[in-house]
Amino acid sequence: MLTTPSFEYLLLSPMLIILAAAVIGVLAEAFLDRNHLPVIQLFISVGAILLALIQIYRIKSSSSTSAAIGSVVIDKATIYLQGTILIIGLLALLLISDQEQFVAQASAIPGSREEQESTSKGSIQTEIYPLLSFALAGMMLFTCASDLITLFVALEVFSLPLYLLAGLSRRRRLLSQEAALKYFLLGAYSSAFFLFGAAFLYGISGSVYLVDISSAVSGGYGNDVFVLIGLIFISVGLLFKISAVPFHAWTPDVYQGAPTSVTAFMAAATKVAAFGAILRIFYVVFSPIANQWRPIISVIAIITMVFGSAVAIAQRDVKRMLAYSSIAHAGFILTAVLALNKSGLSAALFYLTTYGLSTLAAFGIITLIRDATGEVTDLNKWAGLGKKSPLIAGSFAFLLLSFAGIPLTSGFIGKFAIFSAAYETGNIAVVVFGVLSSALAAFFYIRVILLMFVAQSQNDSISIAIPSVKSRIAIGATTAATVILGLFPSLLLNITQSFSIFIK
Amino acid sequence: MIRTALEVGMTKSPEAILFWVLAPLSVLAAIGMLLVKKAVHSALLLAWVMISLAIFYIAQEALFLGIVQIVVYTGAVMMLFLFILMLVGVDSADSLLENIKYLRPIAVTAAIGIGGLLVSLIGRATISHNAYGLSIANQNGNVQGLAQLLFTKYVWAFEVISALLITAALGAMVLAHSNKVRSKFSQRDLSAARFRGKKLAEAAGLPGPGVYALHNAVDVPARLPDGSAAATSISRVLEARGDVLESKQFELQQSEDESSDK
Repeated sequence: MLTTPSFEYLLLSPMLIILAAAVIGVLAEAFLDRNHLPVIQLFISVGAILLALIQIYRIKSSSSTSAAIGSVVIDKATIYLQGTILIIGLLALLLISDQEQFVAQASAIPGSREEQESTSKGSIQTEIYPLLSFALAGMMLFTCASDLITLFVALEVFSLPLYLLAGLSRRRRLLSQEAALKYFLLGAYSSAFFLFGAAFLYGISGSVYLVDISSAVSGGYGNDVFVLIGLIFISVGLLFKISAVPFHAWTPDVYQGAPTSVTAFMAAATKVAAFGAILRIFYVVFSPIANQWRPIISVIAIITMVFGSAVAIAQRDVKRMLAYSSIAHAGFILTAVLALNKSGLSAALFYLTTYGLSTLAAFGIITLIRDATGEVTDLNKWAGLGKKSPLIAGSFAFLLLSFAGIPLTSGFIGKFAIFSAAYETGNIAVVVFGVLSSALAAFFYIRVILLMFVAQSQNDSISIAIPSVKSRIAIGATTAATVILGLFPSLLLNITQSFSIFIK
Repeated sequence: MIRTALEVGMTKSPEAILFWVLAPLSVLAAIGMLLVKKAVHSALLLAWVMISLAIFYIAQEALFLGIVQIVVYTGAVMMLFLFILMLVGVDSADSLLENIKYLRPIAVTAAIGIGGLLVSLIGRATISHNAYGLSIANQNGNVQGLAQLLFTKYVWAFEVISALLITAALGAMVLAHSNKVRSKFSQRDLSAARFRGKKLAEAAGLPGPGVYALHNAVDVPARLPDGSAAATSISRVLEARGDVLESKQFELQQSEDESSDK
């Protein structure tokens, strides 16, 4: 009767290592001395990520792909995405471990005496490390889940820690808590949409496995009302995570309210994980009925690109501006979903990596621009930054140029690859709108650069914090990656081309 | 064989009667949940919706799911809701202020629109396979069948949920549990502080609240020998909540030096 389920523990090992690190972190939180915890937790998390990366390297050419009784598919694309998520997680961890953006005691009421006392005593919430590990494990699982139940569980596993982390900012705590609550409520709402869609797909196919749904979808029995309802509702759940218009409402508030290093992690890693799942679902399950959904996703991609770029122009806060820019980038990557070919997949993988690294660097630099009350995100106060610190302002300007897609930056190569892949399959309208909104986006990026280098500074209150060694490594490595991948894109393009394979 | 989804989903008569009696009631209760003013009534209507769902589950041969629905949702989750209502206060009603103009008409229109769209679409949907019912799945018993699936086919998702539960517990600790910054005062410290305090009169402990035949006395201050009110006799919690009665009405006379020695 009951046969023992056979796991492929080797294939699951990167995720299991991160999950184990998270659990060990929770235990350390409970039993070890508070004074040593920050170092211990950082050691556990970094160690686990490195171990998981080694495991990923070991399984990268493994012949078997199915693990955990068919719930997980570890194919080439998964391995690439998981590796990307881990590297982004490692660099974000270095930013996050500069604890001073985080609240000293999350349970203390904002502005209370308890808060002041715990801040001056220097206590910190080291729980952020296990939470980050859980989020990482959830994201890794999200890219490789091959049944709808596992996909849903993974979605929740990586969302829940992010909701919590978003609310732990040290300064402007009410804004941060509001952001966390908004993110939580809207996230729960979008999860419900996802489940509703999953129920319809189960209804049509009698199975939750993507393979079976794919064959039921292409079978063509009956009409496909159930398939379309399922497809649309599942897409709503997934598009929420990548903040595509019209499911973007949470993005600016959460990006602004969350501690900047968490924003960096969220912006970079969530996009990779969510696009991993979207690409898998559309490439593996829904590709037989591409004619049905292409118009919908095309429209969403176009309005996402145009809306994100247009609204970003009006922003006066640098974090909100980057939030709208991330919405626009979601639209660009959605174009690759429309392409539905190998070059589209490869372009998406390349774009996700370079965009993730540049975003980490940009938010990392924002953490350094401060005045007496903490980070300065008001763009007006950034005037004249170029004279104060040419290196920092120069790097930020370079990253903005990469977001804009100016040649010789990695952003240009990414956009070029994506648009040419979409052009191959004849989505001319989307490509035209993509190029136009890139031009629109360039306008506000360049406005910020002019502000930093040309405008006169009105006040001298802002200063540039001297980054710790960890932040220096994180910001330096990500900026360097943006430069190198812009000059020698083939280094990464060759890898993404050989890894852009989805297996059913 | 292709039939419409409605035909496939049709039930046999006893179940159909149950459905047509309970379903309108539960929909009414769900709508009422949104319309009633008081949170407690809303919670009770929610309990009714959950119980009727449980009855549907049991009618459709999913016995275990029905019981779990009652135990977990109607039992545990509803109790949590009521606890929270107790803490917040039974009388507190939601603020129904609209931040965005015309939000409500827009929301109602959109809801009716998408609801109508879904109903009309599902009404026209066709399906190529029959509804199986649970009789095949329940061959070896309902609970056994579920257990077998949970520990074989879906064991990975089942195990990963533990990560979710740990995250939830950890998050609750982060948001609600505070590590004491100062060490707690011991009884010895408190005693020493009393004797070193300004007034030795309080060293023996604070006076109890007043005792009046007219009134439940916890919220009325005691009277000092001169007839004035002893402010220290009232619990600070009551004071903070604003539940203290004006003691003047119980006083016999007004003395002039009362305000100085509270």
